[in-house]
Amino acid sequence: MLDELIFIALPYFAIALAVVVTPYRYISNRLEWSTFSTQFIERKTLFWGSIPWHYGVVILLIGHLIGFLFPSTIQAILSNLSMLLTLESIALTLGLLALIGSFILLMRRALSNLESSIVDYILLFLIFFQAVTGVYIAVFNRWGMEWYLHTAVPWFYSLLTFSPNISYVSALPLVFKLHVIGAFLILAFLPFTKLVHVLFLPIGFVKDPPILYRWVKRGD
Amino acid sequence: MDVRAQLAMVFNLDKCLGCHTCSIACKNIWTDRKGAEYMWWNNVETKPGAGYPKFWEDQRKYRGGWVVKGDKIKLKAFGKLSTLLNIFFQPYMPKLDDYYHPWTYEYAKLYEGIEEEDQPVAEPISLITGKKMEINFGPNWDDDLGGSRLYAERDVNLEEREIIRDFGNIFMFYIPRICNHCLNPACVAACPQRAIYKRGEDGIVLVDQNTCRGWRFCITACPYKKVYYNWNTGKSEKCIFCYPRTETAQANACAHSCVGRIRYVGVILYDAEKVEQALKVKDEELVNAQREVILNPRDEDVVKSARKNGIPDSWIEYAVRSPVYTLVKEYALAFPLHPEYRTMPMTFYIPPLSPLIAIQSMLYDVDDDYLIINKFNKLRVPIRYLASLFSAGNEEIIVEALNKLMALRIYMRAKNIGENSGDVLKKVSLNEKDAEKLYRLFTLASYDERFAIPSAHREYLEERDAEERKGWRGIGVIRGLRGGI
Ligand code: HEM
Ligand code: SF4
Ligand code: SF4
Repeated sequence: MLDELIFIALPYFAIALAVVVTPYRYISNRLEWSTFSTQFIERKTLFWGSIPWHYGVVILLIGHLIGFLFPSTIQAILSNLSMLLTLESIALTLGLLALIGSFILLMRRALSNLESSIVDYILLFLIFFQAVTGVYIAVFNRWGMEWYLHTAVPWFYSLLTFSPNISYVSALPLVFKLHVIGAFLILAFLPFTKLVHVLFLPIGFVKDPPILYRWVKRGD
Repeated sequence: MDVRAQLAMVFNLDKCLGCHTCSIACKNIWTDRKGAEYMWWNNVETKPGAGYPKFWEDQRKYRGGWVVKGDKIKLKAFGKLSTLLNIFFQPYMPKLDDYYHPWTYEYAKLYEGIEEEDQPVAEPISLITGKKMEINFGPNWDDDLGGSRLYAERDVNLEEREIIRDFGNIFMFYIPRICNHCLNPACVAACPQRAIYKRGEDGIVLVDQNTCRGWRFCITACPYKKVYYNWNTGKSEKCIFCYPRTETAQANACAHSCVGRIRYVGVILYDAEKVEQALKVKDEELVNAQREVILNPRDEDVVKSARKNGIPDSWIEYAVRSPVYTLVKEYALAFPLHPEYRTMPMTFYIPPLSPLIAIQSMLYDVDDDYLIINKFNKLRVPIRYLASLFSAGNEEIIVEALNKLMALRIYMRAKNIGENSGDVLKKVSLNEKDAEKLYRLFTLASYDERFAIPSAHREYLEERDAEERKGWRGIGVIRGLRGGI
């Protein structure tokens, strides 16, 4: 029952929220769509928090995504032992960066005189928790890259094809379940908080000419 | 030729009193909001001085503006790849304390306090945290050379630093600053989200509040530090050139309220195709190259191309009677601030005249040429200093402009007291008609002469919802809590 809750109900709930609320917020109120950067008020500690956190988490998230999108290719790559070792140690390093970064971000809220809302704390606690469980898995449940491909990936495919099959994941240890809970709580929070900044990494500008004009008569 | 229209402003520094009326007018209308307390879209600085934010002209620290690299001009701070790599933390962005920590006083204490021996005091409290704070810097801490050893003496334009301690020869003047609504705006180019844009019709540069995500590259990129980060809405904001006023043919709030009547606003026509080329020249040639970009609105070819580009006839007419065109191009009296930042600013400054330095022998050394400034700089405000501010080091064009201003004074003074001023006007290639015209513009000019602002044309006006328009056009109002929920 609990497994169903964790592996079926929560994910569907979180995904539904993200899919429905995010576009609604985008259309109805973009004035509050921002990173709400606090660097302007406090910058010294932010440097040691934001940079490790983001470089860690962004690359790791991309890693999760690649494993999900191209499982067989990744499987082939990982069959080379030294490759597996290299990639695992890179991932662990990034995980540690994210862990340190998120810890610093959380403590920064508590110790500096930033104006913080309860939402800021919940969010930072969630990402810190996520980093802790992630690093724990990497250290104590070795070769996660391997078993991720045979457990989480097929399970997630089954979710997306609306034929949820939790037998892939229900036997996994508790810490993995916590990691999944954390991930989908973050996803559920995303559309309501400043986390929406994640969705619009600006890339289009790379090909644009430098100066942007808007002409009223041309309607832009 | 790609003719475009631009609203531009001229400041006659000779007449600025440093009264800050302009700043207050602007603040009351636009930045009297949460998150904007520290912003002064219009501010007035004493020069020499630190300015606002502190030492904003020090681009080794703040990395604003453009630089020439090979045959290209590039943003000084970040290329496109490094924009992405630095998106999580802005290394060169000024922090709140570089501007100042905004405060108010606990006025309520004055009448709520219990009766006791000592007078009640209203202690300063932070406008950001609401907590008690100590005031140790403000937006005009260095006004009128206050704390000159700390601030004025470290002015990056000042080479003769000793002068600050030499009370016989110390100098100062004021310089009001707004966003320059540049022709090559670094803020626009730096925004990865493409939230900042230049309006095609009048050249006003705005931050679209709906698109801005608070990446803050604009703040680093603007060498004048005229884009500000609103810590409450999480978005960037800047001077909007009072477009709701200019669209209805009224002068900007700062210009309208100006006590010294030092400001002129008008339309200029320019050739958008020539902008880039004009920015690749050597530093000393920048001002003249910029003047070349500005077109003569009486020229038939220019008018033809302007019409082809859809510039309405009324705007072309206003360009003809534009005081900005007169002062910047026709008489070459007004200069852009720090042209070497290569944003091609569209506000211009007439450099201030100043008395002669107090050296006994010279005071009595009156000869015919005496009042025309020569290269041996006898003026209290060093020419080199003015050149560092207004012409990227080209002293010659500054001297030329000052000479014209001086000749104008000599001519008018002589005329008033019935004397003959000889060929003083001819020496600076002006004639009597020019002199009368400039004299009028500097002294008697009415509202309509100082501000030649055409109303926005009907076909320009949008039929969008006003609330939405407000966000698009630079001012956002946050409705919920910070960060959602
Ligand atoms: C797409 C790539 C991303 C970009 C460009 C980005 C950018 C930023 C920026 C500019 C800030 C503001 C930092 C400041 O205060 O100045 C920020 C804050 C934050 N980001 Fe990201 N981010 C990205 C991805 C992520 C991801 C994937 C997560 C986590 C799921 C995340 C979580 C956070 C959190 C929690 C904060 C708030 C930190 C705090 O206020 O204490 N970001 N991000
Ligand atoms: S002064 Fe700064 S903010 Fe204004 S247009 Fe130029 S670069 Fe942009
Ligand atoms: S109102 Fe006019 S005179 Fe007064 S400080 Fe501003 S620009 Fe100078």
